[in-house]
Amino acid sequence: MLEIQDVTKTYDGVAVVNHVSFEVNPGEIFALLGPNGAGKTTLIRMITDILKPDSGSIRLDGLPPGPERRRRVAYLPEERGLYKRSKVAEVLTYWGTLKNLSAADAAREAKALLARVELADWSDKQVQTLSKGMQQKVQLCTALIGSPRLLILDEPFSGLDPVNVQLLEDILSERRAAGATVLLSTHQMNKVEELCDRALMMHKGRMVLYGTVRDIRRQYADHAIVVRAQGVLDGLPGVRSIEVFNGDRKLVLEPSATTGSVLRAMLDRGIEIESLALAELPLEDVFVKVVREGLGMTPAQDVSLAEPVAVGGAR
Amino acid sequence: MNWHQILTIARREYLAAVRRKAFLFTAIGTPLYFGFVMFVSIGPAAKEKLSALKEFNVLGVVDSSGLYSHAPNEIFTDLALAAPSIGAPMPSQMVRTQVVFFPDMPAAEKALRASAVNQVLVIPSNYLVKGALRRYARSSNLFSNADRQPIATWLVQGMIGNSLDSLRTARVARPTLGMDLYALDRNGQFELKDGKRDLVDFLLPFAFAMLLGLSITVGGQYLLTGVAEEKESRILESLLCTVTPEELLGGKLVGLGAAGLTLVGIWVAMGIPALGAAALAVKPTFPPGIILIALAYFALAYLFYGSLMTGIGSVTNNMREAQQFGVWFSFLNFAPMIGMSLLLAHPSGPLATGLSLFPPTAATAMMLRLMAPSSVVPMWQLGLSLGLLALAGWLALTISARIFRVGLLMYGKTPNLPEIMRWARTP
Repeated sequence: MLEIQDVTKTYDGVAVVNHVSFEVNPGEIFALLGPNGAGKTTLIRMITDILKPDSGSIRLDGLPPGPERRRRVAYLPEERGLYKRSKVAEVLTYWGTLKNLSAADAAREAKALLARVELADWSDKQVQTLSKGMQQKVQLCTALIGSPRLLILDEPFSGLDPVNVQLLEDILSERRAAGATVLLSTHQMNKVEELCDRALMMHKGRMVLYGTVRDIRRQYADHAIVVRAQGVLDGLPGVRSIEVFNGDRKLVLEPSATTGSVLRAMLDRGIEIESLALAELPLEDVFVKVVREGLGMTPAQDVSLAEPVAVGGAR
Repeated sequence: MNWHQILTIARREYLAAVRRKAFLFTAIGTPLYFGFVMFVSIGPAAKEKLSALKEFNVLGVVDSSGLYSHAPNEIFTDLALAAPSIGAPMPSQMVRTQVVFFPDMPAAEKALRASAVNQVLVIPSNYLVKGALRRYARSSNLFSNADRQPIATWLVQGMIGNSLDSLRTARVARPTLGMDLYALDRNGQFELKDGKRDLVDFLLPFAFAMLLGLSITVGGQYLLTGVAEEKESRILESLLCTVTPEELLGGKLVGLGAAGLTLVGIWVAMGIPALGAAALAVKPTFPPGIILIALAYFALAYLFYGSLMTGIGSVTNNMREAQQFGVWFSFLNFAPMIGMSLLLAHPSGPLATGLSLFPPTAATAMMLRLMAPSSVVPMWQLGLSLGLLALAGWLALTISARIFRVGLLMYGKTPNLPEIMRWARTP
């Protein structure tokens, strides 16, 4: 388990990471979100022990910073690079030996990983002869070798074609099933909704959203429900307006109305309901709303909202 | 510090450096190039001197002094004495130069322009008082003075007339030709200081200091470009998640230092057949433990310069920028070579002593001092020099590690000096 407790990092008097606390459980895919300059990279560098926090603590499986913890962490940064003149298999074997594998084990694991990312035929080629997407898969392998307990991936999908995006999603699922913790930093909100159990959003160094992806979307949902039903909905008590889209109807409720009262009114009217759901905002809209409108957790809310939610509860 | 990580990094850095085509090209190509340059310059130079003497067949003389009316009309020159070779001794070979007198300069000039004579020697009327002479030739080159000696012999013969036999005349013309100098070597034995020995006395310190300086600079340059390249290609961030900056720095220092030593080792090995023959001919003496001392200086000076180069590589944004800064440190390393003649002439003088104690110049300056002929460096100076260099190396390593740690993650902007100083002060 990754435990971040009240971590702060300041540069030139500006708190780039400001009292951030959260936990990520084993077997969880956790999203670290935020606009550019939110403090995500600094936080990741502190988790990977590249930078030291000014205050607070970071523990992985109870381990403080040090060689033992470093061996359990792998990081795929957004700005990527490899030894271009080296052979693909050599690069991976080197990374494996740095992760404390023997040369033979590292070579064996490198071979298996290259086969998994469909690059087995390229193992003896120089990195510079590979396409950008292929190089990205090799870089992913450098993060996967040594079976790290915590896998930190910064924008792992950028530059990949749909087939390789699917491949990466499969690999992440495999790693999750094997008990690894995955910390995913990305601006692709659809991938967060698709893959992640929980998310933390930072803005200007502070935590502004933290919880399950569904809870976050619900928290910012309009006071409305989306209904697919047979019958006339006009004039229902408690409904302010009705919008129609894709065969569904979105009922915007009066402030005093509840989902239950409107549901009862529909049943009383004999309307046959096929489906009913809260009108949640896509995560992308929540992101934009929080950043543009400066919403999210206030310092007073930090304590209550920072409580972790059970893994998988929203999925 | 985890030594497994350091050695793993060192191994990769070493193999990556020595497997590059540029390494092979430098290792083999540099000695071949210099061998070729020596071959095409020194050999032909000696031949040119000989051929200038051989082709000196006719000397025209315009004698206004009247001193040479009875001078001989031919000159005999032994090539073995007039143009001694650097290699094996040349057998005695006499060449004859005819002397033709002209009544005045216009007649002599006409003969010179018509190639009837090789040169014209004009002896003014006041030669005895002033000693001034003029020579005229159709052309001149680097070897035009090769025939000064035959003319000098003829002038002596002409001046003393028939009062001396030819042997005495030759001795008067070149009285110190066969004078040998014997001087104490560093073992307290007298050794012959002839032309070959002078050459070795100059070349040996030069070679030792140059090779030491080159191995330090080459290793440092590898570090500089390696760090700048890794920073530019953004490898470092994922690498630093696995190893500490200190382990990365240590591994690079060891691996690339070994690559620099390998390069110099190849050069030495390729030079042994050529230099070995010359060394056997003059039997040079070396200070005791010179190889161990050279290795100690290499290790410490490389630690000093390598650390500085790494620091530079980590604060710059690309390789070109890094090399522009790094070249100044290479100049500093080779600075004692500029004053080499002075250092060899006065190996215990204040300049030589000062440069050999000053850490940035200590390695090359001390090598020159140690290898200078007859020089004996006091042990306390050797110890102090190594101690100061070790201290400077440790300081450079500590400061560079701090700059390295912060600089590696800075992209897009080269920090200014106050920023670098602040990083250096941050533990």
